[in-house]
Amino acid sequence: MKIVGLDELVFGVDDVAACSRYLVDYGLKDAGGGRYEALDGTAVVLRHKDDPSLPPGLASGSMLRETVHGAADQATLDALESEISSDRKVTREDGVLRCVDDAGFAIAFQVTVRRPIDLPREMSNAPGAAQHRGVNALGVRVDAPVSPRTLSHAVYFVPDVDKLEAFYKRIGFRVTDRMLGAGPFMQPAGTLDHHTIFLIQTPAAMQGIEHFTFHLGGPAELMLAGSRFVEKGYQSFWGPGRHQMGSNWFWYFNSPLGCHVEYDADMDLHDASWQPRSAPMGADSSQVFLLQYREKWAPGGPPPSATTARP
Amino acid sequence: MHELPDGTARGFDPRRTGQDTMFVVRKGDALHAWADACPHHGTPMAWRRHAYLNAAGDRIVCSAHGALFEMDTGRCTLGPCLGDTLTRISVVLDAHGDVRLADASRQEASA
Repeated sequence: MKIVGLDELVFGVDDVAACSRYLVDYGLKDAGGGRYEALDGTAVVLRHKDDPSLPPGLASGSMLRETVHGAADQATLDALESEISSDRKVTREDGVLRCVDDAGFAIAFQVTVRRPIDLPREMSNAPGAAQHRGVNALGVRVDAPVSPRTLSHAVYFVPDVDKLEAFYKRIGFRVTDRMLGAGPFMQPAGTLDHHTIFLIQTPAAMQGIEHFTFHLGGPAELMLAGSRFVEKGYQSFWGPGRHQMGSNWFWYFNSPLGCHVEYDADMDLHDASWQPRSAPMGADSSQVFLLQYREKWAPGGPPPSATTARP
Repeated sequence: MHELPDGTARGFDPRRTGQDTMFVVRKGDALHAWADACPHHGTPMAWRRHAYLNAAGDRIVCSAHGALFEMDTGRCTLGPCLGDTLTRISVVLDAHGDVRLADASRQEASA
């Protein structure tokens, strides 16, 4: 069952105008109809929380109303329908399967809408290694445009992590690493990305989404995007830094969608030969290093005690 | 006071830390000042400078996980810190309608 990744996260929000402005400032393109798209067509969809077309919300009040997974092909959709309908209702409408997972989250599956994208990587040079970035090519430009490339992953707060892990394993997900005291990082069968979902054990009243994130093109893009976001007045929560599990660069921000929103870059890729690691949850296991935004500064000028006038 | 309409909020950084550490909300004719620190993890609550309230302007929202708080009591009515309250900061309204911190040991803030 080749699920390739997350296609869409559908939110039913309180302040649609605020969320719209936020997602555009974050870098997604307003594609109309409430869709805010990354470069490859994966998206966040905004509706008002009272929109009757949305699946019912959770008792916790979480504004995430549906997670849409992208399948590689029709054969995957057929296999998913066969597996999931064995013990619950699954609807199929316009090529989209809909059901509820074992935590009560509304989920859907479709042949993926993501478009192939052909974009450069960040190229760096290092002594001892073959040259990557060309002669006279600049490593960074202050005005470089940065756009989120693809929907990376979502992190769920769930009351029974073991039960939900078992459900996703039924549809082809594998555990790549485990954060003890929190839960598993899970990879669907159609991607090598370290994870597209991460589950965190919490009391039932907290069930919902902790954060979602889009992949950027590399660490310099992440620093640029995050700094610009701070300079627009948005509230940094955690980062920038680099995670241990998954190795991805991260920078989390508060948001009006009722969850954090992250920029991430350069996540590890794993195949079936990878042996999952376990580490207890905590500051030491959650990052290799953590930095903090500062306004630009430069050294220079006379010391404050200088009494002579400058020429 | 006249700069803060009913159902709005504003953040302040009275100790010049570079990050707002408190915010004032107006509900009717009353002002309430709260520490900008959610009881969940003690972290900042706005999603954008001064953005502390829901769309209707009748609840404080923590933009980490969407928790809702009453503007006048600071009590969490929905979210991970259900039952906890925000930390109140005492402010006084002077004769000119300016808002000042009641604690003399802090730097003055005025709105």
